[in-house]
Amino acid sequence: MFKPQQTSQQFAPAREDLAVHIQHLNYFFGAGDLSKQVLFDISLELPKGQIVILTGPSGSGKTTLLTLAGALRSLKDGSLRVLGKELVGLSDRALVGVRRNIGFIFQAHNLFESLTASQNVEMAVELTGNFSSKRDQAGAMLSALGLADRVDYKPQSLSGGQKQRVAIARALVNHPKLILADEPTAALDKKSGRDVVNYLHALSREEGCTVLMVTHDNRILDVADRIINLVDGRLESDSSPNAFIQSKQGDPTDVSADMFIM
Amino acid sequence: MARVSVAWSNLLHERTRLLVAISGVAFAVILIFMNLGFMGALISTATNFYEQFNADLFIISTETLEISTSTAFPRERIYQVAGIDGVERIMPLYSEYLLWRNPETGVSRAIFSYGVNPNDPVFLMPELQGDEARRILSRPNTVFFDRLSRPEFGPQDIGTTTEADRRQATIGGTYTLGGGFAADGTLIMSDQNFVRYLKPRPLNLINMGLIQVNAAVSPEKVAETMDSLLPADVAVYTKPGMIDHDATYWLEATSIGFIFSMGVVVSFVVGAVIVYQILFTDIRDHLPEYATMKAMGYRSRYLFKIVLQEAILLAVLGYLPGLAAALGLYHLTAKATAGTLPVAMNGGRVIFVLGLTLLMCCLSGLISVRKAITADPAEIF
Ligand SMILES: Nc1ncnc2c1ncn2[C@@H]1O[C@H](COP(=O)(O)OP(=O)(O)OP(=O)(O)O)[C@@H](O)[C@H]1O
Ligand SMILES: [Mg+2]
Repeated sequence: MFKPQQTSQQFAPAREDLAVHIQHLNYFFGAGDLSKQVLFDISLELPKGQIVILTGPSGSGKTTLLTLAGALRSLKDGSLRVLGKELVGLSDRALVGVRRNIGFIFQAHNLFESLTASQNVEMAVELTGNFSSKRDQAGAMLSALGLADRVDYKPQSLSGGQKQRVAIARALVNHPKLILADEPTAALDKKSGRDVVNYLHALSREEGCTVLMVTHDNRILDVADRIINLVDGRLESDSSPNAFIQSKQGDPTDVSADMFIM
Repeated sequence: MARVSVAWSNLLHERTRLLVAISGVAFAVILIFMNLGFMGALISTATNFYEQFNADLFIISTETLEISTSTAFPRERIYQVAGIDGVERIMPLYSEYLLWRNPETGVSRAIFSYGVNPNDPVFLMPELQGDEARRILSRPNTVFFDRLSRPEFGPQDIGTTTEADRRQATIGGTYTLGGGFAADGTLIMSDQNFVRYLKPRPLNLINMGLIQVNAAVSPEKVAETMDSLLPADVAVYTKPGMIDHDATYWLEATSIGFIFSMGVVVSFVVGAVIVYQILFTDIRDHLPEYATMKAMGYRSRYLFKIVLQEAILLAVLGYLPGLAAALGLYHLTAKATAGTLPVAMNGGRVIFVLGLTLLMCCLSGLISVRKAITADPAEIF
């Protein structure tokens, strides 16, 4: 006989200090004979306010883990608590509610070309129902990201880095407690990528929000409090940036501590 | 502050696409208006001349399909009802096609001819009233000519002399009546002239019996009495009943009603397909943005609203130029047919087509919106 309360008993109780709390998470794509497991028994604790970088080879399951933490896929196995809410077994409708408290930053900016920078950001504010202050909120967030003079520009007249900063403004304008970013600098040149990460870092420190960021970009590892390495769907290592660099020493093409001197 | 109008911005952003969409909707709107216009004109022209018939009741053969496809019946029938209470006057009406020669080109063409007793006030047209008109009508080989006849019949000036069925004919006067869908033109002449032109047509076979009743009695009541008195080869109609009889013939017994309704349906489908194509392309191009909105926490209902708003905007933006163009085309059609096809707009049709356009666009919107709703926010990472 199936007893749901027994399942939950296997897991540690909810903890106030954790933004994300993953326990024994397995994830499969497909069903039946075609089903393929991409995440194996993942357990992970992300305390509030931390900036965590998720790295690993292509196809190791980083994006999948991010979409799960972002309440973008429904889950049946293990335990996944995001901002105090258990996502396993949640309905699609309830997942949408959870997502409103999360800021998403994608590799592509996904801005509406037909809307101005401010309007794109305002779309996020409208979700909170603050119609009277939305323009001010959008303007303030764009200014914080150095785009005060680009508020009424459409994406086509912004540079790649500026567009990505608008997308970040959209993700942050509602002051989410959790930010999920998947290779936010991949489409940017070195300078713009650096700028974007610096803004993200500064804002996270000010707002005290948790950041989980997937990146292949070794130049930005220094902003992290912690680096997690995922290989073939398993957590391979979980360390501080310096320890991570040490472990990679001897592989000169990969990472060197010099990169951290800004 | 109002919501950011994603629908409006998206439409305006792609100017060329917007223009194509508006043209597509406008095109469908014009086609629908033209079909309805022709259908409406048909119904009204097929019957509006009855308004000029100075009678309350009409007796026709049961085999008569509409006025120009009539079967003659014995004149006795109207004498049989002359004595009924309330009947003021009975008037025989003869009608037949006659070949009218255009004196300028020499080409002959069938014209619909009425034969009346010059002493009977059969028609209400002012030109046919009075002693002078009666005198002209009584002259041999003289006819009154319908100014709404097609120009192909030639000059309409009084005094014009030509041939009708190889007999001389002179236009002694003109009037305005119109021949409906069947007739390109009409003539009115005395019964004596009528039998002369249409030899060997006897005067005791008539095509229609016109009856005027006393203002104190109800025409419907009198019609009932007549029906019970008359044999089954004829039927009695009131004026609205007569108009209805002919209109029904044109709409049902012929395929004209079907054709124009079909035209409306086809135009509707064409418009719907165009709008669907435009909306679908628009949704496909914005799929990552829509998926991002879902990731941010927007529900499918919101995307649904955006697409539906775009559909309604397209409907209104396409309807207005479509209506304007249709009004122009109505005017041109009425002019090109010399007023014989009075294609005219009416309020009911303006609203009906607007509703049809909204329905067309919303249907397309509903079909294409499925794509936006299935946008999976997990796939855009
Ligand atoms: N929708 C899907 N259906 C089936 N399999 C999938 C799907 N999405 C991803 N996968 C598979 O799951 C595995 C993990 O994919 P994922 O995108 O999480 O990797 P990743 O670590 O983000 O890789 P990359 O660094 O290239 O972005 C891969 O083997 C991939 O082929
Ligand atoms: Mg990935």
